[in-house]
Amino acid sequence: MLAYTVKRILLVIPTLVGILVLVFGLMQVVPGDPAAILLGEQATAEAIAEVRHELGLDRPLPVQLGDYLWSSLRGDLGDSFFQNEPVTRAIGARLGATIELAVASLVFAIALGLFLGVVAAINQGSIIDVVSMLFAQLGVSMPVFWLGILLTFWFAVELNWLPAIGRGEPIPAAIAAALSGRPGVLLNSLSHLLLPAVALGLNSAAVISRLVRSSMLETLNEDYIRTAYAKGLPPSAVVVSHALRNALLPVISVIGLRFGVLLGGAVLTEAIFGWPGLGQLAVTSISQRDIPLVQGVVLVFALMFTLVNLAVDLLYGVIDPRIRFE
Amino acid sequence: MFKTLGVLAGVAVLGFTLAGPAPSALAQGSENVVRIGTDVDAGTLDPRIMRDTTAYRAINLIYDGLVQLDENLQPVPGLAVSWENPDPKTWIFHLREGVKFHDGTPVTAEDVKFTLDTIRDPALKARFRSLYAPIDTVEAVDKLTVKISLKEPYAPLLSYLDLGIVPKHAVEAGVDISNKPIGSGPYRLVKWDKGSKIVLEANPDFWDGEPTIKNIELVLVADNTARAQALEAGDLDMIQSPLSPQDIKRLQGNDKFANSIQSGIAITYLNFNTARPNLSDPKVRKALAMLIDQDTIVDQIFEGTDQKATSILLSSWAAYDPNIRQPTYDAAGAKALLAEAGWTDSNGDGILDKDGRKLTVELGTHSEDPNRIQTVEYIQNIFNQNGIETKLRISDWPSFSARFQEGDYELILVGWTQLVDPDRVTFGQFRTGGSFNWGGYSNEKVDALLDEGRSSSDPAVRNRVYRAAATIISEEVPYYIISYQGYQVFYDPAIEGYIANPRGMLRSLKNASIN
Amino acid sequence: MRKAYRNPSLVVGGAIVAAIFIIAVFAPWLTGFEPDQMDMANRLAPPGRGHILGTDNFGRDLWTRAAFGSRVSVVIALLSVGVAMVIGTTVGLISGYFGGWVDLIIMRVVDIFLGFPALILALAVVAVLGPGVINVSIALIVVFWTEYARVVRAIVLSEREREYVMAAQAIGASTPRILFHEIFPNTIGPVVVLATLGLGTAIVAESALSFLGFGVPPPTPTWGWTLSFGMRFLRTNVWLSAVPGFAIMITVLGFNLLGDGLRDYLDPKGVSGRERVRDAASEADAKVQGVS
Repeated sequence: MLAYTVKRILLVIPTLVGILVLVFGLMQVVPGDPAAILLGEQATAEAIAEVRHELGLDRPLPVQLGDYLWSSLRGDLGDSFFQNEPVTRAIGARLGATIELAVASLVFAIALGLFLGVVAAINQGSIIDVVSMLFAQLGVSMPVFWLGILLTFWFAVELNWLPAIGRGEPIPAAIAAALSGRPGVLLNSLSHLLLPAVALGLNSAAVISRLVRSSMLETLNEDYIRTAYAKGLPPSAVVVSHALRNALLPVISVIGLRFGVLLGGAVLTEAIFGWPGLGQLAVTSISQRDIPLVQGVVLVFALMFTLVNLAVDLLYGVIDPRIRFE
Repeated sequence: MFKTLGVLAGVAVLGFTLAGPAPSALAQGSENVVRIGTDVDAGTLDPRIMRDTTAYRAINLIYDGLVQLDENLQPVPGLAVSWENPDPKTWIFHLREGVKFHDGTPVTAEDVKFTLDTIRDPALKARFRSLYAPIDTVEAVDKLTVKISLKEPYAPLLSYLDLGIVPKHAVEAGVDISNKPIGSGPYRLVKWDKGSKIVLEANPDFWDGEPTIKNIELVLVADNTARAQALEAGDLDMIQSPLSPQDIKRLQGNDKFANSIQSGIAITYLNFNTARPNLSDPKVRKALAMLIDQDTIVDQIFEGTDQKATSILLSSWAAYDPNIRQPTYDAAGAKALLAEAGWTDSNGDGILDKDGRKLTVELGTHSEDPNRIQTVEYIQNIFNQNGIETKLRISDWPSFSARFQEGDYELILVGWTQLVDPDRVTFGQFRTGGSFNWGGYSNEKVDALLDEGRSSSDPAVRNRVYRAAATIISEEVPYYIISYQGYQVFYDPAIEGYIANPRGMLRSLKNASIN
Repeated sequence: MRKAYRNPSLVVGGAIVAAIFIIAVFAPWLTGFEPDQMDMANRLAPPGRGHILGTDNFGRDLWTRAAFGSRVSVVIALLSVGVAMVIGTTVGLISGYFGGWVDLIIMRVVDIFLGFPALILALAVVAVLGPGVINVSIALIVVFWTEYARVVRAIVLSEREREYVMAAQAIGASTPRILFHEIFPNTIGPVVVLATLGLGTAIVAESALSFLGFGVPPPTPTWGWTLSFGMRFLRTNVWLSAVPGFAIMITVLGFNLLGDGLRDYLDPKGVSGRERVRDAASEADAKVQGVS
């Protein structure tokens, strides 16, 4: 187990370096010159050349790449061309918002997914089962941004129950405020978080519900469950203590991949809900050719994705002793 | 139901029930704050290197320029109480007494000199450096007098001296004014949540008196539709262009919001690459211009948010003359003109040809602006119907602009913004070899006129030369101006005393109040 | 075939997919309009006489645009998934069969693409190549191929120790022969299931790229552009976004039902239980949806 963990962690490094090289390569071949975009339409060719020099873009590519890899190894991701601040600071300012949104969506997705999956499984074949699973299928099929605009339209504009845009205090700070007697702060944060989390999480809820249903059905048909019923245990006890516990295993296994999906989906959701996260930064930086920022954002996304998956894989091994690591 | 399932159900439903009690927190709290939606986050709050509209607007509140441009784009006193122009190459500015930066230090001629010197330094990478390039030297004559000497007469200068003045001592001491701006304007920065909002508060020591509205927040909502919905949901108090025409129409009909819809200082136009064989003949360019259905584009696609342009002269300029007119929509006339230029459908395939070559055009624009995409789609349709084989080429701004700046285009739909002076949209654009003359247009008469307009500060002379240049441009069609871009602002009518400004500047909020 | 009738997912999914394919192939015969036929006097008309689903902002028939749009969606889906499947399967076969250094290196490359945020990767590729049907497909191939490589490799790893492979090696069968004649058939089932689900994902991904301005631009009629553009008209004419939105939903639903149905059909008992759920369901559903 320990050897496996160490091996996995060591393998993360070449992967991240590979990702950096790939993103560097992509940004070299992409048309459009950051210096020209920086200076705008009213820039002369000489001014652009000067700025290219200032940004270090006129150095040979291997030098730029080597320099970049070396400094990122030391935690320096360079300065954003457009944000007038170091990449690490620009990312740091937005990272919390994206993680908060992804975690909230994940919680929503797991809660709704478990609920639908379990309900469908114990009512297998009934109308409840069909409706739940149809709902799940539609949830997977709906483009996130469309869902987002429709949710905003209904819950913010028509009903005026929830804010359409923005973010409240970060959740940890909001909880602290609530504990010190100001629950309004937390409510405000949650009310901002709700719509984007639902929009982003519905898709994952659908996937999880299908997974829970099939795995529940499988378990419910196994001998030990039948034995439990035969022993006269109440159905609720059987479902909870035996079936549900086993059904949770596949859910844990998908959390890692789901987290990656949610991070990716945040790119779209954040634009709709004015959520100040990394997703918006990713899109802006690509459309401005802000090379250091693109590289930094990709690196951070990749790092989060890789680490969460690593953690989930290890966790899975702890929970399910049948899994053996090579 | 089983107990645990009940809990699970509770967890799942919690999300929905929360919706009930949670109030729209922003909507109820109307403390003395105006929340304004913006489409992009500012890149920097240093006036010398600003690039985006959000930065212009925030900087205009935080800093003072020597002058301010009023809603008619006329320079009015700012930091300078008066100025004189003893000869065409010299400008002398007299500064206001007792003005202080937000850090308490007085604003002096040295700060003005520092700002104008550094913006012209290539190392600063200032986007607008070229606007100040004709400046030779800036001299702090005494504490409150600045003398600007020019390399050559440069009439538009005054329009660009609304540039925010930065504190020399702070910048030299290494203060990061990009992120922690120090100006002398009516508002100062409280905090800037990157990617979210810029929070400003009233400057109690402002030379024109502390503003009544205590806080201004510039809130980022990238999506135009989402921003309009946020205003309707009460999460914003004011939104500005760019907005979707569909939303503008609807908001205009909503009496919960006050609005101002006016002609801005930007144009949307078609740029003809006159170096391309098919487009080098002015007759062909004119014929194509006669196939631009300007009425439909402006009325239906832009839904009336823009004004139909008559020429390169903006209606908000003194030089504007409605009698100078570009070609107007006339399909039959276009056909005749093309025939005159030798383009006919000789082989009956529905496409015009000349000497065995088909009349083809590649029409390009960028993918960020749906209105422009619709416009090229519509123009393509008409061109194709009239025997001009038209292909669309649409890509994102960086790729698109990289191509056209190298002259790799035939016909593109683009825009020019911040046109506070006629020089800004003519000198670089139409002068032979001009920096922005990507299509290689050249006409000696136009060259002479533009030189004259740049060097004369006599309004009568300038009006005459720009009218003469516009007449030639309307005839030879290197540009076809589709519209004068409109500027729209919608806001809570409780904000009283705010005067909309065609550049979207918010400075008049300093004299406004909330009822 | 009897089994198929007991599998409603397969039947319903198959029917939806068949219908979409028929619409895509026969689009010109299913309408009296041209997809780019403008009629400004009749713009944004609601569904009714003449235009069964109404008209768009240029007065073009929405049904016609949706029918022709299905061609773009289907082409992008088939092209991206098809090529990704071929590349991924080949790489997976090679990686799994040879093992050792080959496997180690190939899997590191797979890890790089897998760790790269999917939507950003697709966006960057379109930014490099420029928008358009082929380029969007290429972008999706770049994102999609890794999942086939991983699933096929996993199958090869378990198959190559089996007796029949050993037997083939013993009688001196060539490596390509063993790879493609002995091992490959075992991968077909899971790969077909994955691919079917992937087709739906590709369609949603196309719309997401359109929303961000990196899709297939006009004048090509596409569901993605029409949807993201049509959302601007949510309050004036809901049909402009609803028609392409539902077209996307129904098509994706069809592919997903078909994929689920195929999974049950090809593997009714859910072979090897939990691991299968883990591999097929999570891999297929999760990673590729990163772009949607």
